[in-house]
Amino acid sequence: MTERTALSVRSLSVAYGRHQALRDIAIDAHRGEIVAVLGSNGAGKSSLLKALAGLVATAKGARVTLAGAELSTLRPHEIVEAGLSLVPEGRGLFGDLTVAENLELGAFARRARAGEADRLAKVLAMFPRLAERRSQVARTMSGGEQQMLAIGRALMSSPDFVLLDEPSLGLAPVVTQQLFATLRRVADEGIGILLVEQNTRASLKIADRGYLIENGRVVGGGTAADLRADPAVQRAYLGLNTANQNEI
Amino acid sequence: MFTNAFLSGLTMGGTYALVAMGLTLQYGVSRIMNLAYGEFVIAACFAALILFTSMGISPLLALLVVAPAGFAVSWLIYRILLTPLVRRAPNRGALEVDSILATFGMLFIVQGIMLALFGGDYSSYSYFNTPVELLGTTIAANRLIVLAVALAVALAAWSFLMHTRSGTAMRAVAVDPVAAGLVAIDVRWAAAAAFALGGAIAATGGVLVSMFLTFNANIGVVFTMKALIVVIMGGVGNIAGALAAGLILGLAESFVATYVDPGLTIAVTYAIFLAVLLLRPNGLFGARAR
Repeated sequence: MTERTALSVRSLSVAYGRHQALRDIAIDAHRGEIVAVLGSNGAGKSSLLKALAGLVATAKGARVTLAGAELSTLRPHEIVEAGLSLVPEGRGLFGDLTVAENLELGAFARRARAGEADRLAKVLAMFPRLAERRSQVARTMSGGEQQMLAIGRALMSSPDFVLLDEPSLGLAPVVTQQLFATLRRVADEGIGILLVEQNTRASLKIADRGYLIENGRVVGGGTAADLRADPAVQRAYLGLNTANQNEI
Repeated sequence: MFTNAFLSGLTMGGTYALVAMGLTLQYGVSRIMNLAYGEFVIAACFAALILFTSMGISPLLALLVVAPAGFAVSWLIYRILLTPLVRRAPNRGALEVDSILATFGMLFIVQGIMLALFGGDYSSYSYFNTPVELLGTTIAANRLIVLAVALAVALAAWSFLMHTRSGTAMRAVAVDPVAAGLVAIDVRWAAAAAFALGGAIAATGGVLVSMFLTFNANIGVVFTMKALIVVIMGGVGNIAGALAAGLILGLAESFVATYVDPGLTIAVTYAIFLAVLLLRPNGLFGARAR
């Protein structure tokens, strides 16, 4: 966790027309740790990941640095080259292409060319189902398999950080459990993970730290253990809201 | 008679397939509905005519100049004329509408220049117009050359798109431009390259067409329409589909002209097109970028 490998976000704001989606966000993440971004629907979590990946424009003054390099002025493909890879909500797979072709495209970045074969072997070892289904068309796979492919494709770009937008959406609890266990292994290999989730309970179980976002602002944060014990977090995200009680 | 109809159908179909492949790249990857596409085919016809009649350069050699020129001109058109539209378009639908208007204007500019330079008369030249015996029938040698070159170029373009990294990037942009950006593909570069490659293919088609058809400055729209029909029949962005649909259309026209009535070829074109639209609106093979 040296400063050199850190992802640092300062003064990040995003507006869609007159609607201010994010205000003055400041967060940090390091390689090898899972940072959960928690918040209710519409709090701005997805906007944060899209802004980091270059899919939505940020207001002037935003500073997003990865290992000291400024990312906020780059276009999406340049941000992947810099080491930040987004798995978007809905996965963003090439549905008509096969599993193998999707993984191959994942390694399109110049930074990913060296050691591509080794990385593919690693990803297939991590997700054995993808190895079984290499020639299958992505769109015809189950939701869990598609999510594995989306994460595998992101890993093929040899990222320093992976941003995950609602990976458990639409998945059965047991599949979510497997997926999150794999995410922990990815982080243990030295990749930083920024995890946006509505499944607060599951994400705080695997996360090292977390941030709370409400109405486009960071309203709190701390270690995962502190957040789990925080009465406000329990009340808002772990308690009465039955929709989030995907116990895993 | 059958063999003759079959061979000339294949020649026509091979040309349609090739020309349509360029349009399906421009439309499927770059999302530019290029209404001036046929004008570029005809401009290449005239380029081949001039090179042949005034300098004695054979059309096959002319390909080496005209196709790269088609690439360069299309690249410039994309960067200068179309990139502003791409930047301001909020979504791909808006870009399609804008590009239709812009290229509709471009159609008349290119056509006007050609009319000013060459007038409205039909032109042709005679290159390898010698009869050859093949499969018990006689066919002009130039048609066989056209068929061979059209299929070779089409297969080369197809393997570029299927088996190279840049080609795969273009197909990925056709499927999902946002996801393409997320796997480090420079979407603007891929769109410009696909548009330019489409222009090179249009120019190649034009040179081939000039070897066996008479043409004038006004018939570009015929090629735009035929190419569009083949693209829609094959499925937008579907390279193999464009190949198959082009051959089908060429063969159908040739057989109808031989066995029914030459005046019905256009009717049969649109009849097949209507049938495809009614029965398989996504094209014979669906809009898959493969």
